[in-house]
Amino acid sequence: MLPQFELYRPTNLLEACRLKAQGAVVVAGGTDVYVAMHGGKLRPQALVDIKGIADMQEATYDQNSGLTIGALTTHRTIEEWELVKQKYYALFEGCSQVGSVQIRQRGTIGGNICNGAPSADSVGPLLVFGAECLVVGEKGQRKVPLAGFFTGPKKTILADDELLYKILVPPPAPNSASAYIKYTRRRAMDLALLGVSIYLALDKSRIEELRIAFATAAPTPMRAYQTEAKLRGKDYRSISLADIGKMAAAEANPRSSWRASREFRLRLLEQLVQQAFTTALQRAEGGDL
Amino acid sequence: MKTLTIQVTVNGEAFCKTVGVNMTLLEFLREELHLTGTKLGCNEGECGACTVLVDGKPVNSCLMLAVEADGAEIFTVEGLAKDGTLHPLQEAFIEAGAVQCGFCTPGMLMSAKALLDKYPKPTAQQIRKELEGNICRCTGYDRIVKAIILASEMNKEG
Repeated sequence: MLPQFELYRPTNLLEACRLKAQGAVVVAGGTDVYVAMHGGKLRPQALVDIKGIADMQEATYDQNSGLTIGALTTHRTIEEWELVKQKYYALFEGCSQVGSVQIRQRGTIGGNICNGAPSADSVGPLLVFGAECLVVGEKGQRKVPLAGFFTGPKKTILADDELLYKILVPPPAPNSASAYIKYTRRRAMDLALLGVSIYLALDKSRIEELRIAFATAAPTPMRAYQTEAKLRGKDYRSISLADIGKMAAAEANPRSSWRASREFRLRLLEQLVQQAFTTALQRAEGGDL
Repeated sequence: MKTLTIQVTVNGEAFCKTVGVNMTLLEFLREELHLTGTKLGCNEGECGACTVLVDGKPVNSCLMLAVEADGAEIFTVEGLAKDGTLHPLQEAFIEAGAVQCGFCTPGMLMSAKALLDKYPKPTAQQIRKELEGNICRCTGYDRIVKAIILASEMNKEG
């Protein structure tokens, strides 16, 4: 039995913001919140279940503005969305590797982001696609780049009264491809020991755009900006894969945990960056995905 | 609110009950409706023993409040057999020897049911992916995969 709490189920966004400001814990899919409550790590006086807010469930695509994903969109919806597979393959790879079918059926992309875990599978792909967050509070709304959303492990820029409302993902260039590599000890139901996401746009053999993001390689999900800047505009045939791996790993700051040591993660990162880059390259040159 | 009255359909039968908001769907099924086929395993969404179908989709009933099921159709392992005749999946699990201790079996069957609704002719790879949230500590999974393929073949004949 879960500990006792007061449950609110608003259908209005601002009502939900007001309840959150008063201290209610926000719950969407419940795949993190109820786990923490069962384990005794979270004992909220009040929960505000936001699933009744209809327009947070909507996810649409427009060829000019790209994806607009309501924060309550489930991982399963993203996973089964053919357009995501065609245009945002790394996002498909991320969302389809969260937990299990049962977890993805309930767990939401907004919850995955707001939970603030460095290992979040959907976040790295969203980072390399240049996603922005539409945040709503009692006083209005603001747009924040996802790259600036995280301030520490399990910490975000959301103020007490603010909710993540929608995620905006620009359309990828036609000459681009993406990849997400998740490294785990078993193939399912495991957190990313490391995750590498890459977005690559090519003009023949010239790297027109490159974005790299890591999961579980620092206290928050992160971009490897310096490596991206060094490689942008270069001919990919003139750079060794090993150098790309080393350069990118040098930007990471992983910790040692019971899953793996910092040293192991840094060595592994070099390999995974090469693997993700090669995968994205093959997909870009293949002309599909 | 601390209690709520909910209306749910479980295996085709309608129920109206007043429950505490902190009661999980799993507790509701087992303790209020005495449908104890659905198992409590880890109580944190890792093992899949509590898997039931909510509006046709597999979920961990330990990570869902009973009040969230208001208005929904729930399908549990007790709903598989009809009038004393086992469901093809149940027949196939027996035939293939896919049950050992049996604790994971109700959850496996529900995930397998959802899988066959999605992919009537699944590959072994699809079965392993769609059943990733159901852990079995006895069988090594091989016979479970075989059983589901067997059930999918029965589907064609029947």
